[in-house]
Amino acid sequence: MKISYYPGCTLKTKAKNMDCPGVAALNALGVELVELPRWNCCGAVFSLADDDLLHLLAPVRDLIRVVEQGDNKLVVACSMCYNTLARANLLMRENSEKRHTINTFMEEERDYNGEVEVVHLLSFLRDEIGWEKIRESIKVPLRGLKIAPYYGCTLLRPQSVAIEPPEKRTLFKNLIETMGATVVDFPASTDCCSSYQILSNPDVGIETVSKILESAESWGAEAIVTSCPLCEYNLGKRQEDALRKHDKLKALPTFYFTQLLAIALGLGAEVCNFELNHNGVIRLMESKKFLTAA
Amino acid sequence: MPYPQELKELIKVVEKTRSERVTRKKKNEEVPFLSLEERKKILDYHPDFREEGRREIKVGPSKGYRIAHEMVDMLEAKSRVNPDLVDLSRVDYKTDVLVIGGGGAGTSAALLAQEQGAKVIIATKLRHGDANTMMAEGGIQAATKGWKDSPYYHYLDVMGGGHFKNIPDLVDTLVTEAPDVILWLGKLGCNFSKFPDGTLKTLHGGGTCRKRMHYAADITGAEIMRTIRDEARNRSQDIKVIEFSPAVELILNENGECAGALLYNMETEEYFIVKAKAVIMATGGSGRLHIQNFMTTNHYGATADGIVIAYRAGVGICFLHTVQYHPTGVVFPEQAEGILITEKFRGSGANLINIDGQQFVNEREPRDVESAAVIKECVEKGRGVPTPTGKFGVWLDSPMIDTLSGEGTVEREFPGKFILYKRFGIDISKEPMLIYPTLHYQNGGLEYKSKGETTLPGLFVAGEAGGGVHGENRLMGNSLLDILVFGRIAGKNAADYAKSRSDMGRLTLDHVRAYHKGLEEADIQTDRVSPMLLPDYTLPHVKERQLTSCYVGTLR
Amino acid sequence: MNTTDTTKGESRETTSGKELVSIFVMGKKYEIPKNLTIMKAMEYAGYKYIRGCGCRGGICGACGTVYRKPGDYHIYVGLACQTVVEDGMYLTQLPFFPANRATYNLEAMGSDPEEVYKKYPELFRCVACNACTKVCPMDISVMDYISAIKQGDFEKATELSFDCIQCGLCTVRCMGEMSQYHIAQMVRRITGSKIKPESSHLKTMVDNIKTGRYTRAITDIKSMSEDQLRKVYQAREMEPSEAPEDWKPADNTYL
Repeated sequence: MKISYYPGCTLKTKAKNMDCPGVAALNALGVELVELPRWNCCGAVFSLADDDLLHLLAPVRDLIRVVEQGDNKLVVACSMCYNTLARANLLMRENSEKRHTINTFMEEERDYNGEVEVVHLLSFLRDEIGWEKIRESIKVPLRGLKIAPYYGCTLLRPQSVAIEPPEKRTLFKNLIETMGATVVDFPASTDCCSSYQILSNPDVGIETVSKILESAESWGAEAIVTSCPLCEYNLGKRQEDALRKHDKLKALPTFYFTQLLAIALGLGAEVCNFELNHNGVIRLMESKKFLTAA
Repeated sequence: MPYPQELKELIKVVEKTRSERVTRKKKNEEVPFLSLEERKKILDYHPDFREEGRREIKVGPSKGYRIAHEMVDMLEAKSRVNPDLVDLSRVDYKTDVLVIGGGGAGTSAALLAQEQGAKVIIATKLRHGDANTMMAEGGIQAATKGWKDSPYYHYLDVMGGGHFKNIPDLVDTLVTEAPDVILWLGKLGCNFSKFPDGTLKTLHGGGTCRKRMHYAADITGAEIMRTIRDEARNRSQDIKVIEFSPAVELILNENGECAGALLYNMETEEYFIVKAKAVIMATGGSGRLHIQNFMTTNHYGATADGIVIAYRAGVGICFLHTVQYHPTGVVFPEQAEGILITEKFRGSGANLINIDGQQFVNEREPRDVESAAVIKECVEKGRGVPTPTGKFGVWLDSPMIDTLSGEGTVEREFPGKFILYKRFGIDISKEPMLIYPTLHYQNGGLEYKSKGETTLPGLFVAGEAGGGVHGENRLMGNSLLDILVFGRIAGKNAADYAKSRSDMGRLTLDHVRAYHKGLEEADIQTDRVSPMLLPDYTLPHVKERQLTSCYVGTLR
Repeated sequence: MNTTDTTKGESRETTSGKELVSIFVMGKKYEIPKNLTIMKAMEYAGYKYIRGCGCRGGICGACGTVYRKPGDYHIYVGLACQTVVEDGMYLTQLPFFPANRATYNLEAMGSDPEEVYKKYPELFRCVACNACTKVCPMDISVMDYISAIKQGDFEKATELSFDCIQCGLCTVRCMGEMSQYHIAQMVRRITGSKIKPESSHLKTMVDNIKTGRYTRAITDIKSMSEDQLRKVYQAREMEPSEAPEDWKPADNTYL
């Protein structure tokens, strides 16, 4: 099975450790993620200003590229890109006035009316592959690993593009259990990671990160799993800043869900680009003997 | 623009004979190649052999040398300035090395001089990089494949191409330094076409015994020029570029050594004095002199400036009696006039056809013979095709290629030219091209030796401005090589020379006064001034209204 | 712009029978023979170029020109040396536009895309409006190569931007205020020097020349008479044009 895939800029550069294991894992599950031959940055953040149509051009162009491929479904791994693309798609479907303005402005492109379905990779695993099939393919069950699923904002908000109802979250839970690990649900699971605040307002950002880490730790987590490069950056790469500030905090390895899935499918560390994660990630995998088992 | 009706009618004549010509070609029944004697006879029509096209220079170090009138006109002309009005005590810029010319030779010279620790100024007439270098499509020769080639074979090819008249030391340097130039360009990030394993792709050029023409798609010159220009910009701390400011005279000192140049800011019309410990002349060629009224493939600024001002300062010239004409330049549509149509068209089987639909020469004769034959057909025999702009040309029957090698060949093999003509509404796979020889390369130039040095201490030469390395005829792919090999050498040696120089002496333009005196003594009465700087394309209907008698204030 | 002036001028004929069209150079009307390029039309009108003219062959990027047509809101572009005048054309040349260029030390850097992002953070101001692509006279997909750079795919960006003549029209139109062509230049140089595979045969040859492998052969041939040289030249072994890459000559004396 082949499916059009939108990796997003970050996954092609700083977050190859999310992209590569994802592509490899899906391949192992019999699905070829085919990167769009032509795509541009999605715009990274969906603009909320009502008259800011300009920032819709980028995501809409990407959706047009899908149509150009003769396809009508697009899988996105990065939550941020997913959110931006899905919301732009919705707007193009529902708001005829803005749709008309955008289509008129982009006269060099074909008209777009929301024909494409934007699907997050997590939803794709659940709906198109199914937990059962994944379970059958697991070669290295992540037995004994206690994982806190971190949704952040963009998978669940706003409701119109949420991958599942925020109050009845099962997706991460099912995935973690399918991989043989233990789910540690924690109250800060859907908190915001502080997003770009970490750059513009680092003190506020680090406090937010600390609270999330503390919450996960207090519920017994050994690792955090995420689906967004920005969340990974804040919770993972900037974790050291939080640890320095709060001596009670303990280090908590942060993974992309695609990495854990690749390990569980027996693909080994070589597809995971762990060197791009923060410290402690490999140590945890090794101590659990997940890397040698493959 | 598409062909007008009258040309469309004439194309029907070409079409009428095409199938017969294709049949003959398929049977290998070619129009016979000319014998050596016939060649010699037809070469009388080559512009180089038209005695009335040239005359002896009456002044200067190469007095008595017969070259094209247009070049002599530049040499037998006065300075743009009155030396008495230039205050040489007011020095505007001081530098170690002054490079005159911002093309490939000048820029590579600047880079190497800077690497030797010199402070460099590049003075250039237009923008940095506006040069024939940018236009070179074909490639750059270098023997880089040791399993089949070496500088020895490259040497042989260069000498044979130049009719064995080349200066051996210069050729030695050219071929021996060639591979290092390719390596250097690679390190600077020039994207040569390569196989996946890193092996450089190479092609044959006319007159080569080994495939050693390296290329970057079909824009080799542009890729090289923009790469080295970018590097020069990275070193802007040490390499200062002064654009739109050509040098109009060299400045010497009282010991007769080169000590700088006088620059002319074309936008403000001011003159500026640069004092330099060493000067590199890298001003390129002279296609825009339109020798014998020929159109040219050259850049707007190719007006022989460096030759003129170095000659005035006492540097001799050589090999300027030969000029390279490319047999197939576009003569219509007018907007593409002078643009080069690669030899590959003829190599692929396209005939040259006159107005009567007849093939008058085998299309695979050498360049000079081919050019002469086209000129003879148009000028003497009157069988050229008249263009709507009042010129003549002959047909290059490109649709034959599709007939011979299958539909779509022209579009596939010649994408650049196919698109160019398509923009004008002409499909060259269906309609032939109208061509005429076009002025392409200045084989000769200033005399220099293999370290770039000239007889004028402190003056170095690099690139097309110099003569000798190509003898009487340059081979394809050796011009890009020339500018980089000798640009680098001149840059390095000029910087070394600058280091060794302490006392600069008193600046003078006495050589200009002496040259003016020489003109008088030779009884040359003229209002001409040189260097030309830019060609004058103002038309008579405009000129006859330009009645300003005296230039005052803003009404220049 | 003065819209009253852009009404379609009527074609007329000169005394010499040439058909004339009207063009507006920076708003001023000139009657020009049909079928001239913009560059030659300007010269016909009496302009003498200092700026805005270079190779006159479509590769140097000096003569970028923008124009409009009567009753049409679109911006059109072309190189003055390649574009034929049209009746009613309302034009100006843009021979120069200020552009931001970062200085960098190629030799000291690697191929990490971050190196480019640090020098040109404005890359991330692209909103994919595509004005750059629409304005490119070389039909380069500028937005796509900028996207490729942001995706860290420098080889793709090199390929997509390869025909760039650095005329700067993209930079004029960019609402992210980028100087696309300078960014592409840096990326192409990284690709050429750090990403594409090295050529081992080239290095071998340079080393062999340095250690004097061919010095003797060339010294000998330099001292030959013209007649001798002609003979050696005539007898040289030709590599057939269809020969494979690993073709070897029968005589390897001078290799």
